[in-house]
Amino acid sequence: MSRRILVIGEPSAGGHLSGASLEAVGAALRLGGGAASVAGFAAGSTAAALAADFARVGVAEVYLTEEPRLDSAPLAGFVRAVATAIAESKPDVVLVGGTTFGRDFTGRCAALWNAAAATGVTEVTESDGGLRFRRPVFGGRATETREVEGGRAVLALRPHAFPLPAEAPVASKPHPIPLPELPPVLLAPHRAGVEAVTTGSGPALGDASIVVSGGRGLRAPEHFHLVEELAASLGAAVGASRAVTDAGWRPTSFQVGQTGRAVSPQLYVAVGISGAIQHIVGMISSRVIVAINSDASAPIFKVADYGLVGDLFQIVPALTSEVKRVRGIA
Amino acid sequence: MEIVVCVKPVPEAETRLRVATDGTALDPEAVKFVLTGYDESAVEQALLLKESVPGSKVHAISYGPAPRTEEVLRAAIALGCDQATWIDSGAAPATDPVDVARALAAAIRPVPHDLVLLGKQAGDDEEGVVAAALGELLEVPDFGFVVDLRWDAAGSRFKFRRASEAGLESWEAPTPLVVGLQQAWNDPRTAKLPAILKSRKAPIAKVTAAARSAEAARSRSVKFELPAPRTGAKLIEFKTPQEAAEKLVKVLREEAKVFP
Repeated sequence: MSRRILVIGEPSAGGHLSGASLEAVGAALRLGGGAASVAGFAAGSTAAALAADFARVGVAEVYLTEEPRLDSAPLAGFVRAVATAIAESKPDVVLVGGTTFGRDFTGRCAALWNAAAATGVTEVTESDGGLRFRRPVFGGRATETREVEGGRAVLALRPHAFPLPAEAPVASKPHPIPLPELPPVLLAPHRAGVEAVTTGSGPALGDASIVVSGGRGLRAPEHFHLVEELAASLGAAVGASRAVTDAGWRPTSFQVGQTGRAVSPQLYVAVGISGAIQHIVGMISSRVIVAINSDASAPIFKVADYGLVGDLFQIVPALTSEVKRVRGIA
Repeated sequence: MEIVVCVKPVPEAETRLRVATDGTALDPEAVKFVLTGYDESAVEQALLLKESVPGSKVHAISYGPAPRTEEVLRAAIALGCDQATWIDSGAAPATDPVDVARALAAAIRPVPHDLVLLGKQAGDDEEGVVAAALGELLEVPDFGFVVDLRWDAAGSRFKFRRASEAGLESWEAPTPLVVGLQQAWNDPRTAKLPAILKSRKAPIAKVTAAARSAEAARSRSVKFELPAPRTGAKLIEFKTPQEAAEKLVKVLREEAKVFP
């Protein structure tokens, strides 16, 4: 029996399917050697555009709740619409990108559907007809493999852990799903607004495939531009250690670590960061870690893959120039 | 306001992790279980609300085995929680987060709860599922990734901000509400010695967790692994900053294959 998967579509700021949702499609299409039958779900005022995005990567069947109220309603409403789609499409796995949306979605949906739930998933595999998944725990200091018993699971996938699907356009087959009647209590909260958080001009910290972070080794806030210029040359997001955000050089939204944001990019460059455990747990799941620090005994070199021991004030500008040169940026 | 705060015994951050002999879990021997950052933030938020809304009470609830679960509840009492309930899981606690949410929901339903507060995730399994699952099970709206929360007495509603990919969302919501809190947006207080001593004798209500739902699916751990110890960075030798930059870019492109 081939597996049936429902992928939840989350819109990005531009109204298209988010990178995290596309990665979930990528994961679904690969599961069981590509034998799974994959459908999508989209809701809100941009649902039709999301269905077109699903079709572009080979997902024809899309359950749609074109209900603008869901754009700014609490997630409970969205989850009730998904439950109707689940009743129709009868999946055994629901996949969602592990954004803040996806993580809040997972618990709510699994409780409603009586399913197993997990977030931060980095691998999903078939094992003798059962479903197994892996996820880092303890801030990346250990990994757990879990097996689903009883068939149903809602899994939120860790960003950047799964490949984007290839373009494979198909004709979209939308299935409209009405928004079910909701208990008024679930719709009582009201969104008053959204303020954009300053994370510089580059990609958002949680989404970036490359992150460049600066620490106390930069000595003063006026030197932080060295980190920002290197990040700009790499198309990377900018992060910071707690020392930097505590000192007020940059807002807390930049902070990578246990008390800040956990990131898992393809490449993490730590500039002038000594590597306190509270920082390490926020970045250790990065695929490749580079450390630049003048102190050869700094703990960051124990977790880094590549190290440059030397004066960051000389190395970082040279690195920015070299990156620009090889990338052909003037 | 009746506030319920859910806490979880979690291994101390500095704990050296060891795999249990069956290979599927953390070896709990020699691990010190404590109230960790996310939960401390939740308790702090509960106490701040209690202090700002006259007549409020904070009820700490925790699910898990003896003795660690009672210990974190005593820590919550020492910080200022008014009452505590221990849901005894027996020796083999549920590990699927929705099972944990069901056990918590069963204990919360019969007690007053205008607000249920949790850390946005636990410091060990990092699931972040329980708050949202509780919202669904209690039929109450829930919000995770909340960075600050206050009670607007004039409008009889909470005002809070929530971190999302779009930025900081501002929300307003009446009771009842379930909230999963980010860590360290408040500065959690520490317990004073007399309060710690007094908490040792505080009464803790004990309930036994119901049998797990028969119709629900769940996951179980089949393998718990520690990564091979990182061998340390490959240090790149160089004489000039230019040489350092060239060698690093080359190795990132050709060996690590991460360079665009």
